[in-house]
Amino acid sequence: MTPLLEVERLEKFFDVSAGTLHAVDGVSFKINQGETLGVVGESGCGKSTLGRVVLHLLESTGGTIKFKGEDITHVNRTKLSELRRKMQIIFQDPFASLNPRMTIFQTLAEPLVIADICKGAELEEKVYKMMDTVGLARRLVNTYPHELDGGRRQRIGIGRALILEPEFIVCDEPVSALDVSIQAQVINLLLDIQRDMKLTYIFVTHDLSVAKFISTNIMVMYLGQVVEFASAKELFDHPVHPYSKALLSAIPNLDIDQESRRIPIQGEVTSPINPKRRCRFATRCRYAKETCMDSEPVLKEYSPGHFVSCLYAEELDQDKKRV
Amino acid sequence: MSDTEKILSIKDLTVHYLPPEEPACKAVNGVSFDIRKGETLGLVGETGAGKTTIALSILRLVQSPPGKILSGSIEFNGENLLEASEAHMRKIRGSEISMIFQDPMTALNPIDSVGDQIAEVVHLHSKCSRAEARIKVEEMLELVGIDKSRYKDYPHQFSGGMKQRVIIAMALACSPELLIADEPTTALDVTIQAQVLDMMNDLKKKLGSSVLLITHDLGIVAEMCDKVVVMYAGQVVEMGDKRSIFKHTSHPYTKGLFGSLPGAFPDSDRLKPIKGLMPDPAALPAGCKFADRCEFCTEQCRAREIGLTEVSEGHYVRCVLAEGGNHH
Amino acid sequence: MKQKETVVYTTKKRSMMQESMHRLVKNKTAMAGLIVLLIVITLCALAGFICPEGYDKQDIMNKFISPCAEYPLGTDNLGRSMLARVLYGGRYSLFIGLAATIVAAGIGIIMGSVAAFYGGLVDNLIMRFLDAFNAIPDLLLAIAISSVMGGGVLNAILAIGISSVPAYARTARGPILAVKEQEFVEAARALDARDRRIIFRHILPNVLSPIIVHVSTGISGGIITAAALSFLGLGVQAPTPEWGALLSASRQYIREYPYLVTVPGVCIAMVVLAMNLFGDGLRDALDPKLKY
Repeated sequence: MTPLLEVERLEKFFDVSAGTLHAVDGVSFKINQGETLGVVGESGCGKSTLGRVVLHLLESTGGTIKFKGEDITHVNRTKLSELRRKMQIIFQDPFASLNPRMTIFQTLAEPLVIADICKGAELEEKVYKMMDTVGLARRLVNTYPHELDGGRRQRIGIGRALILEPEFIVCDEPVSALDVSIQAQVINLLLDIQRDMKLTYIFVTHDLSVAKFISTNIMVMYLGQVVEFASAKELFDHPVHPYSKALLSAIPNLDIDQESRRIPIQGEVTSPINPKRRCRFATRCRYAKETCMDSEPVLKEYSPGHFVSCLYAEELDQDKKRV
Repeated sequence: MSDTEKILSIKDLTVHYLPPEEPACKAVNGVSFDIRKGETLGLVGETGAGKTTIALSILRLVQSPPGKILSGSIEFNGENLLEASEAHMRKIRGSEISMIFQDPMTALNPIDSVGDQIAEVVHLHSKCSRAEARIKVEEMLELVGIDKSRYKDYPHQFSGGMKQRVIIAMALACSPELLIADEPTTALDVTIQAQVLDMMNDLKKKLGSSVLLITHDLGIVAEMCDKVVVMYAGQVVEMGDKRSIFKHTSHPYTKGLFGSLPGAFPDSDRLKPIKGLMPDPAALPAGCKFADRCEFCTEQCRAREIGLTEVSEGHYVRCVLAEGGNHH
Repeated sequence: MKQKETVVYTTKKRSMMQESMHRLVKNKTAMAGLIVLLIVITLCALAGFICPEGYDKQDIMNKFISPCAEYPLGTDNLGRSMLARVLYGGRYSLFIGLAATIVAAGIGIIMGSVAAFYGGLVDNLIMRFLDAFNAIPDLLLAIAISSVMGGGVLNAILAIGISSVPAYARTARGPILAVKEQEFVEAARALDARDRRIIFRHILPNVLSPIIVHVSTGISGGIITAAALSFLGLGVQAPTPEWGALLSASRQYIREYPYLVTVPGVCIAMVVLAMNLFGDGLRDALDPKLKY
């Protein structure tokens, strides 16, 4: 089966005054149809940039993107229009992602108007149906975003992404700005529509428990690179990369009877500008050896379907098993 | 428990915001709870539950107008802060009670070095010389894990996590008896959050301060708190020690909060969110404020105001079901 | 009770513009400003009706008459009715202020929008060019332009208009730069919206408020600059009774006949104050941040 999306050695570099910022640096992955790829990492790891490059909201500076087997790394305007009906995005901020001067109706109708799919009564019917799908009461059709709460606004954003019936959606932290109880409603909604519309997601988040819950596979990013890629279950049960381990152990534990076993991680993320050719995590890694400082690890299949980018993956994993 | 001295005791606190020409926003409605010496109390709730208003009321920083403290008392070491003079409050703020705000990016003065900013607090509240203040500040910086050589550095030279450390150092510089932390790690990345939480726990042990920790994250509560107060629509809906809240969750809202967490039920493939939205604080329903969203709602719930029932020692629940005694 | 909750969403069916207007009407100082403006405009418009004899009918026998029943605002050194001169003068002052603002806003907003939307080199070229303009104080620039082009109403309008172009360009550019980076613009791009749609549908409606406010306060600035120009003998020339020209002509009699300077002076101050009050009210009414 051809994967729905196949990304190879994707790069997005920005020229900044201090040098070259490596936002996305050689990222490769595949997503099959109907799956969700969770992309996790801390701020500045390039996870949001990755989603935008895939959607051509930012142009890549290297690597290839294939959608349904077709190379879409460089496309002309006509092809891009066609792609944009199939690939959509849901944003993090339900305040900034909606035009404050447009009503729910106008916002939801806009994709159909731009793509010139339908108008008049048919358009209205489609908008109302979408409001039902995302759980917005029809009476709200003429309200403006500022009259609504965050959860409802996020539903508008989801409706706008869905109304062209895309196949693939990048969810860029879609629930991070919402309250816990509303967050759960929106996650359930995303799961329901994924099942009903056979959608494929890239789900970008910094919240690991959300990622675990919603993802088929999880990709852990650090400073523009993938450090670990595995199925959600495998990653949580058996993390190998020191960064993934530290990240997972940093999640506050809900079980009050379990002593927290936090793996401390020193210091802070280093600069993504002109990074040195070495393991980018080495300066914070407590297992770092001299070799980590002068050679760059590559992402290798550690066990079937489980990829790790660490020079000492085997060794560290063995150590853990012995303990 | 040998040391059970109440350091802060809030009784029947009611705070409303009264904007002109608009209905009153009933932010806090009859809230009572105590914090004992050395204890960490978690104040849990969603946006608009009234958590921050309570914190601001303790420091008497509720903006007025439109805010107005309508009734109640806030006793700090036996003294009612709501009746204290402004001059006295200024002395209390920062030295006996201090507060950490959510956003570390805006809480520091950008044109003053971090060391000087902390020194100013020390100097204001303890009658020590500049030199003594400087020594104290260097101690505080080391305590929160910042090298003292960074005394002369400016806020923009620090990352978000480091700034929050500076703010914590500033808040703890005068060894306050009570530290109010309003979502102290919400703006931080998870590994940095872990660093800051661990550090706060260590410092609390060292300095013996009590902490009022405002958060929406039950995981943080599980790791940090001794007692938990769950707020909904300006009321306490459930409170008790951490064990009773986590192991004998009684109020449908608290249960709903746990059900909303992806990590709470690892085997389920769907979350169990609370339906609906929090009521508009300007138009609160009569009776139980949670009734509209509650799956156990009966006619009784809307008929009258529901009081807190003590379901087991120190564990209070505001629910009709708990009144009957069948809270499990 | 259930109903009360839904009330929040169902009663607000007014459009955003209507809501802004509603807030504006409720603002007392803005309304006071507006009423004063309307009265002044009406009086000036009816000048021919109130003073059918026109503004330059001289009556040498009756010069320097203090305000009385026949001449409510007195007469000047040539025995012309000050009431007539002030009313007709108002037409010129208001017209020059308005027209100069239209010129300035038209050129400025287009330059600012183009600079902000396309960014990079275009932005740099336009803004540096305007910076050079801006290095000269507005009034000085207006004086320079009108002394090159000569007097007259049209030249005054151009001089004042051109000198305030940079300010309008900045007013338009700042908000556009900010709005351009918002996620909803990115969302529109992800929906395959073309530049034209993004500019007119997503960007401009969200930057109109500061522009409208600048225009409304800009007119009063234009009136002042026009008055200053004619006061200096540039811009509008005698016998055209523009307010600044009236002031200028009367200033030599300030000791003996103070009402001659008081009347046009008060008119300028009143109109400018009223316009600024109204502009402030407009800003408050249009600012959606007030809604929270």
